[in-house]
Amino acid sequence: MANETVVPAAVQQDSRRETIAFLIGVAGWLVPGLGHALLRMWGRAVMCFLTVGVLVILGAGMRGNVFSSSGNDAFDTLGFLADLGTGTFYLAARSLEANGADVSHAGGDYGTRFLATAGVLNLLAALHAYEAARGRKA
Amino acid sequence: MNAGMEFKLSHLQSMLLFALLISIAFGFLSRRRPIDRVKYVVWSLFLFLLIGVGIGWAMYPFSH
Repeated sequence: MANETVVPAAVQQDSRRETIAFLIGVAGWLVPGLGHALLRMWGRAVMCFLTVGVLVILGAGMRGNVFSSSGNDAFDTLGFLADLGTGTFYLAARSLEANGADVSHAGGDYGTRFLATAGVLNLLAALHAYEAARGRKA
Repeated sequence: MNAGMEFKLSHLQSMLLFALLISIAFGFLSRRRPIDRVKYVVWSLFLFLLIGVGIGWAMYPFSH
């Protein structure tokens, strides 16, 4: 009899934990470092925010390509998904790059890579926060 | 936002900044103790630069 009451409670707790972990992952994606900050992992939170932020500022400052959703081919779509990984910083990158992209020189090409890397790095950090919230990683 | 902000970095500066930032992020994400993080960052940065310069030299004969 005792098991019948204990098991549903444990399942409910797991489900709640999973939901919180998912929300922490989404928060980490939207604002770089926020997922870790919610878990009180301050060092990781600050470093995620700074590294992703600096990569976005450099990428936009070097006039890298900030891809939009209206891409012409698969590479544009992949670029958009990578850029979107920076969460709200994607909007910051777009507004920072008021003069538009210029990939006719090497700097612009590097800028494109900086922006894409910032996005992928932030997705990795958000996934790390999600796993940490589930208790799988520290 | 500053619409006029623009950076002009050389190839080497871009590579150094990229390697440094990614190494720091990887070090903080994958290690917990500060000393382990420092070791990881230094080692990762060294490998980034070594492989980057190595690939650069490997491509050199094809640039002429």
